[in-house]
Amino acid sequence: MNRLSKKLDELKKQNKKALVAYLVAGDPDLDSTLDIMHMFVKSGVDVIEVGVPFTDPIAEGPIIQRAHDRAITKKTSLEDIFKLITKFRLKDDETPIVLMGYLNAFIFFRHLIEENKNNSVDSILVVDIPGELNIADYGIKNENINTISLISPTTKADRIKSIANNSSGFIYYVTLRGVTGSSNLNVEEISQNIKEIKKYAKVPTLAGFGIKSIEDAKLLSSHADGIIIGSSIVKMIEDSSDSKEFAKIGEYLSDIKKAIS
Amino acid sequence: MEVKNKNLPDQNGFYGKYGGKFVPETLMYALEQLEETYNKLKDNKDFKDQFYKDLSEFVGRPSPLYFAERLSKHYGTGSIWLKREDLNHTGAHKINNTIGQILLAKHMGKKRIIAETGAGQHGVATATVAARLGLECHIYMGAEDVIRQSLNVYRIKLLGAKVHSVDSGSATLKDALNEALRDWVTNVDDTYYIIGSVTGPHPYPMIVRDFNSVVGEELINQSSELFNAMPDAIVACVGGGSNAMGVFYPFININQTRLIGVEAGGKGVETGEHAAPLNDGEPGVLHGALSYLMQDDKGQVKETKSVSAGLDYPGVGPEHSWLKDSGRAEYVAVSDEDALRAFHEVSEFEGIIPALETAHAFAYLDTLMKEFDSSANVVVNVSGRGDKDINTVAEIDGIKV
Repeated sequence: MNRLSKKLDELKKQNKKALVAYLVAGDPDLDSTLDIMHMFVKSGVDVIEVGVPFTDPIAEGPIIQRAHDRAITKKTSLEDIFKLITKFRLKDDETPIVLMGYLNAFIFFRHLIEENKNNSVDSILVVDIPGELNIADYGIKNENINTISLISPTTKADRIKSIANNSSGFIYYVTLRGVTGSSNLNVEEISQNIKEIKKYAKVPTLAGFGIKSIEDAKLLSSHADGIIIGSSIVKMIEDSSDSKEFAKIGEYLSDIKKAIS
Repeated sequence: MEVKNKNLPDQNGFYGKYGGKFVPETLMYALEQLEETYNKLKDNKDFKDQFYKDLSEFVGRPSPLYFAERLSKHYGTGSIWLKREDLNHTGAHKINNTIGQILLAKHMGKKRIIAETGAGQHGVATATVAARLGLECHIYMGAEDVIRQSLNVYRIKLLGAKVHSVDSGSATLKDALNEALRDWVTNVDDTYYIIGSVTGPHPYPMIVRDFNSVVGEELINQSSELFNAMPDAIVACVGGGSNAMGVFYPFININQTRLIGVEAGGKGVETGEHAAPLNDGEPGVLHGALSYLMQDDKGQVKETKSVSAGLDYPGVGPEHSWLKDSGRAEYVAVSDEDALRAFHEVSEFEGIIPALETAHAFAYLDTLMKEFDSSANVVVNVSGRGDKDINTVAEIDGIKV
């Protein structure tokens, strides 16, 4: 069982909600990314989602797009990201790591994923493939990496079933119609859809996209098995990209963690 | 190689290994709905009657097949025929597809229309059909293209649509597509996205091809009538590839006709500064489809370079990738410099100012006509007229208009 499945199992047994934190690797530079990842863990983050920069991130809102652009300016590639994670693992061999990105980068560097030295990466989420499919369908095979599929408010019931069956890490429920960082959460719809997903899912269902305030986090964690925070963190990284004083992010995440516990 | 099966894409939207549906989950239902609607309507008599009526009465089809006498004499090795898509209402082939897609949007009850545009021709064509039905319309256009195609920006505004200038990335067509996709993800319930080329996720490459195939279908009949044979070659420019696909598709099984797509060679394919993925790219995934793609050594999409806004795109429609690999079509590239020379030559020889995109197809005649003798019939698909490019060309020539 890999780190992600183990962690989610533990949390379930303790009746706790998972906190997943996202950043873009290489934003503003790889050393900062490494520091922030360790800080995530100290602040109570259960799973780290590492964004793989791409020139054309069509599911991202302006905040995360700019982070992708900054990382690309630094020429951050998936190769660099694997090296970063190997470094992270020297100090932390417990925290699950999910790579989140667009198919082209994963296909381009398929050998790195197949190799996955010391199993340092636990899971992959490809934003731009249909939920029923995963990287194995594109010829990228690694049994120790599990897959996370997205289900959105527009996913129809018959597909929810097949997607839920296909997801081996967790199910990522996209809480809104929109790009990352938007703000039009419809809690009633979210609650109903997550109930529907849970009928079929063998793995936990986490909610993400558009969760900003402590109140959002608290509210959504009562419906899902955990929450994913992305744009708010990336905005704080952007604001501190010159000063490199990222401590505020730790405080913010600690508060979120308390609110969902 | 003989291509036996033109019944592509397969049920998953693939042309051989190319194509598919690589989109965020939020769009999957919208694509399914679109596919279902299209499959239901495409052979429906009322739908087809309406489509062809609009093409005839509003667009002015069929477009003529015109014998380019002086240009033919200039080369002296055959007859050059021009398929005059530049004479369509709004000035390019783009209107054929938007006439069809707006009928789908209407049938699906969508209230809001969005589109991306590069040269602005698809933006104009979309704003035109949206105005005709009184639908709200938003056009996404790269900031750089907004400047170099200012005439079309003004036309789009006159037609009552809103132009959104896109600053992200390279600020050209690819970024306009990104932004249109983001709009669609956000407003998917009431919005119809009219993609303007044979690109994007399935079913778009198929739908755009089918609507624009009216060009090739007319050409089959006109060739029989005017020179009593099928053409020896058809030459068309390829950016995303809609004008080429529309004229190639009905000819896929007519093996005596060579199909030649001309990409934008920019400063020259060998310099790496171009927009010619079929000549100098590798298969990759962009905007919902697997196809030839210009990418760097890190799997990132490369910035493109072309004097022509409509060809300035790092990807290409998946069916072209399949036609290339199968050998049924040939793909070449022409530099900015050669395209500009052809732009002037065709204007002076034939009294037709072609679009800069189309000028790429004309420029390839310099190479192609050497391969024929005097009995050859070669068709150039004149995808659009050059009025929109006057400012660009004048500036390059150092003239203030």
